[in-house]
Amino acid sequence: MIAQQLAGNLMHGLLLGGVYGLATTGLSLIFGVLRVVNVGHGAFIMVGAYVILTMFTALGVSLMAVAAIPVALIIGMALGFFFFYTVIRRIMNAPELASLLVTFSIGILLEETVKLIFGTEFRGYNWDVGKIRLPITTIPMTKAYAFIASIAIAILLYFWFSKTRVGTAVRAVVEDRDGAGVCGVNVVWICGLSFAIGIGLTVMSGVLLTWFIPVGINAYMGSAYTLKSFVIAVLGGLGSPYGAFFAGVIFGLIENGGYTLFAQIPGVAPFPLTVSLAFWMLFFLLLVKPTGLWGGKR
Amino acid sequence: MFGVYLIMFLIGFTMPGMWQVVALLAFYCALGQSWNIFMGMTGYVDFGYVTFIALGTYGMALGVQYFHQFEWLGIGIIFIGIFLALFLASLSALLEAAIALRLRGAYFAIACIGINEGLRYFIEGAKIWGGSEGIIFSGALLKTFGREMANQLTTFWADFAVFMVAVLAAFLNIHYMRSKIGYALTAVREDEDAAKVMGIDTTKYKTIAFLTSGLLGATVGAFAWGLKLRHVFPADVFVIYYTIECVVVVLLGGAGTLLGPVVGGLIYGLSKYWLAVIFPGFQLLIFAPIIIFIIVAFPGGIIGWVKQRIKGTPLQRYIE
Repeated sequence: MIAQQLAGNLMHGLLLGGVYGLATTGLSLIFGVLRVVNVGHGAFIMVGAYVILTMFTALGVSLMAVAAIPVALIIGMALGFFFFYTVIRRIMNAPELASLLVTFSIGILLEETVKLIFGTEFRGYNWDVGKIRLPITTIPMTKAYAFIASIAIAILLYFWFSKTRVGTAVRAVVEDRDGAGVCGVNVVWICGLSFAIGIGLTVMSGVLLTWFIPVGINAYMGSAYTLKSFVIAVLGGLGSPYGAFFAGVIFGLIENGGYTLFAQIPGVAPFPLTVSLAFWMLFFLLLVKPTGLWGGKR
Repeated sequence: MFGVYLIMFLIGFTMPGMWQVVALLAFYCALGQSWNIFMGMTGYVDFGYVTFIALGTYGMALGVQYFHQFEWLGIGIIFIGIFLALFLASLSALLEAAIALRLRGAYFAIACIGINEGLRYFIEGAKIWGGSEGIIFSGALLKTFGREMANQLTTFWADFAVFMVAVLAAFLNIHYMRSKIGYALTAVREDEDAAKVMGIDTTKYKTIAFLTSGLLGATVGAFAWGLKLRHVFPADVFVIYYTIECVVVVLLGGAGTLLGPVVGGLIYGLSKYWLAVIFPGFQLLIFAPIIIFIIVAFPGGIIGWVKQRIKGTPLQRYIE
């Protein structure tokens, strides 16, 4: 019985993990290129959730749920370019304190703006396109689609990085910012582009996350995802987008598996314990191997 | 600087209705200074600082809740509360210092956030100390001290104690800055590896400053959140947002300066108070762009800016 429950939950964890992975690639990309930790990360995920909510509830067509993905990417990249050229560019080389505080303030700004427009109540939508029945569990099609879409986007990102000229330039900046500048790479432009793509990916993952959990959309929903993304980013090695993707899958498995096992212990609340486990994991991992599970030297 | 505190105290004491405002300002000044002792001098960003404030609150709550049945202790339960607050905070500070202080920059900041959230969800998940329901100890206070005395404790003495912590933090700040510790920590901030090579025991000094900063934070928590509000819930106290408030206070005034956190605390406290009065519900929306602007335009804070302006004039002596 427990074994079956565990297998079913792990399956869900795998699917959710793929989306978590995509939600973290943006954070890792921004840290890798700009060396800035985006503490307002979750707020951008929240923006994505509101993009799909607005499009879906306004038009009520299934197609809108899919069309929300490119729209989210465009909105995200626009936000990314806007914040980069107004603020981030000026504090890129300042001490961490400034960048942490600025990104946090950007997060607050987004949250309060959304609160002003949409109000404080929790919202949700219902997109039903059937279910897959497996012997161990039943999976709604939307969850499977979210997983497939995440993987597709991750693969596209991979090819963009490894095959195009701009992608190569981004990798060069990650490797050595000054060196890339000397070789004729426009470092500020690459940083701006990476920031915009990072934010675009994050907003897009907000759309996919609501395919997974279509309820509980709220202006302050992001902070939980910010913290999860930190754990995942560290797990995958800060600044490595692919690492982050695989770490997301692992995190999804641990989260759902841990929940199932903790639920067997009487007298404890399994959900907070699982979250707690994730953060202790983060702490010890930072200590033992700060370059991530796959990382080499930093 | 002590003049500033004296004036604040007199305003609060003599003008009716101003005591609450002064208490709020003292809270921010105390927190800003406590945070500044570690961050301002070392450049390490402790994003999980609120852990100490929260543990201090828990210390006070545990002391009052579990010891009030021993009636002969009387006022002693408050001291037990303070003792527990300091004990919990130093335990976690030493653990954190031993492990997290090996990390630098963004890694350190993230590790501190990890500890904070890990502790919060552990308390909720394992259902210790009341779990997510927290501890409400206003009843225990009433039973021990009676209505009159309990009221005085929570409204006047709690704020007064925060005030005293602010003064103590100022003393410690001055003492550290002018002693060997201050020089060692400044060396760490400028170039940690070079400081190590020069023979400075960086770990020792970092731990001292971290511990001091944490203990002061715990004391502020014990009084301002514990004794004053008479309850503690994990979802309310382990909130990163409060760390950000400390950071904003310090950055507004100027990191690593003596007067900075006090000036920052005064400005932040006053503007937060007025914004909440004039635009209730919108204060954050207005505040976020202001913070961004200040960081981009005045990276040294107000005191840093003033310092640069008066460099070389006789006024220089008065600003540190």
